[in-house]
Amino acid sequence: MTSTVLALIGAAFVAIGTVGILRFRDIYSRLQASGVADTFGTSLILLGLIVRDGWQSRDAALLLLLAFLVLTGPIVTHSIAKSAFTRGYRGEEDR
Amino acid sequence: MKIVEIALLACLVATLWRLLRGPTPWDRLLAYNAASNRVVALLAVVAIVANQSMLLDVTVVYVALSFLGIIVLARSMERTGGTR
Repeated sequence: MTSTVLALIGAAFVAIGTVGILRFRDIYSRLQASGVADTFGTSLILLGLIVRDGWQSRDAALLLLLAFLVLTGPIVTHSIAKSAFTRGYRGEEDR
Repeated sequence: MKIVEIALLACLVATLWRLLRGPTPWDRLLAYNAASNRVVALLAVVAIVANQSMLLDVTVVYVALSFLGIIVLARSMERTGGTR
């Protein structure tokens, strides 16, 4: 029960992030939507899978996955933003 | 859990549209990152639901490789602008 609710909330966050990626204006807004919502949503889904059926040995792999995603998500977002900014891309004007 | 799988699959397809369309190369890189995130979440859900621990090992390797690839691509596009 808890596991399904956590996974559903996580999937909702991932869906919101997808809408942000599709609808936002320029690369920096899309990075905001993708980076924040995806990391949180994926973490919630993995957390829901961890608490499913009590503690088992496979949960160690899920914890490793969770730690890796939480660590590397911000690094990737920062790296893409720095790459675009260094090349002189400044985003769209406000309308 | 079936709803979660279907939602993640729909999000994956929608993200691939940005990967095809994205005006700048960085949009494509961002979409690739988001798509690999969704693939990782989907693989983990399938591995737990279908009770296949082997898929979890596949997922760990996949997440490490996609992280390395995205970092390398971002660093190289910092020099070339993504055109070459």
